[in-house]
Amino acid sequence: MKKVSLWEIYRIFFIIGIQLLGGGYVILPLLRKYIVDERNWLSEEELVDYFALSQCTPGIIAGNISMFAGYKARATLGALSAIIGIITPSFLCIILLANILNGIIENQYVQDAFWGIRISVIVLIIITVKDMWAKSVNSKFTYILFFTVLLVLMIFSISPAIVILICALAAILHSKITGGKNA
Amino acid sequence: MLKLYIILYYEFLKIGIFAIGGGYAALPFLYFIQSKYNWFSVDELTNMIAVSNITPGPIGINMATYTGYTTAGVLGSIICTCAIESAPFVFSITIMKIYDKFKTCSTVNAIFNGLRPASCALLTAIGLKLLYQTITYNNEYFSSSLQIDNKAIILFIALMIPFSFMKKQPLIAIIAGALGGIILNQF
Repeated sequence: MKKVSLWEIYRIFFIIGIQLLGGGYVILPLLRKYIVDERNWLSEEELVDYFALSQCTPGIIAGNISMFAGYKARATLGALSAIIGIITPSFLCIILLANILNGIIENQYVQDAFWGIRISVIVLIIITVKDMWAKSVNSKFTYILFFTVLLVLMIFSISPAIVILICALAAILHSKITGGKNA
Repeated sequence: MLKLYIILYYEFLKIGIFAIGGGYAALPFLYFIQSKYNWFSVDELTNMIAVSNITPGPIGINMATYTGYTTAGVLGSIICTCAIESAPFVFSITIMKIYDKFKTCSTVNAIFNGLRPASCALLTAIGLKLLYQTITYNNEYFSSSLQIDNKAIILFIALMIPFSFMKKQPLIAIIAGALGGIILNQF
């Protein structure tokens, strides 16, 4: 693969950062669009892997997954370019707009727009799940794991990091029992 | 002044290390900082969180930048943003080095075989929870009093249908949602 320039990594993550409205989870559809589909820096499976890893790494999920993706493209400096890229738009917006936004946040139109964006975020999450599903839930074991985790999370409030760790253990056990066949 | 910068760095470094699981995990830490140092009032903090929600970028980063800015100006915001990401940076690099080295190992493959459905289920659970909260104004499943927000259902369906078929266009979905929100709430 052609070596990606650090500037290109910074630029792409800056663009992703600008579009990151309504919370960090929108980073997944954005990474899929810019990095998996348009640039092939990551495979679909890697994106899902990184999302799992970023949930149990300390720190903000969107930041972690950006650093993983940047690292994949250009190792440590790539990770650094990615995180600075994703931070720059937030930083500029707060410094330049915070005072203005503080004044308009009570505005009814602004409130209505963000109510609508919340629903867009839900739609984006569901579409992302649909895409992730094909790459991640494809055997009896993974079906059972998916529905168990979903049910548990809907009933109890458990930290995602703990869920990920328990599933890692379950997967090791399962592979030992089935003798390493990935089914 | 130097002391203030060091305290800021230290407090946000801690958030970076201990807030596992997204920006909202940082909230309790921010309230703690508020009560400990009184750099800003609770009302100001609530406002900062609201503004962090509507500016682009990860909410955790926005809150760090904003808190730093309120407390110690532009330099303060740079310090807080760097502080909140410095520990995760070290962790991420380390994890990637390990991941690269062992991703061909069969046990690691087996682990990811289990992590992928878990990761997918986590995101599904978040999506369902947000959907439920938005449609019913309720934070808890199985609550006795159920109100249904018809407008939310209409907008959800109106966005879901075209965007399930469209090529991935997250920004257009966000803009469509914002416009839909403004239009629907006129009635």
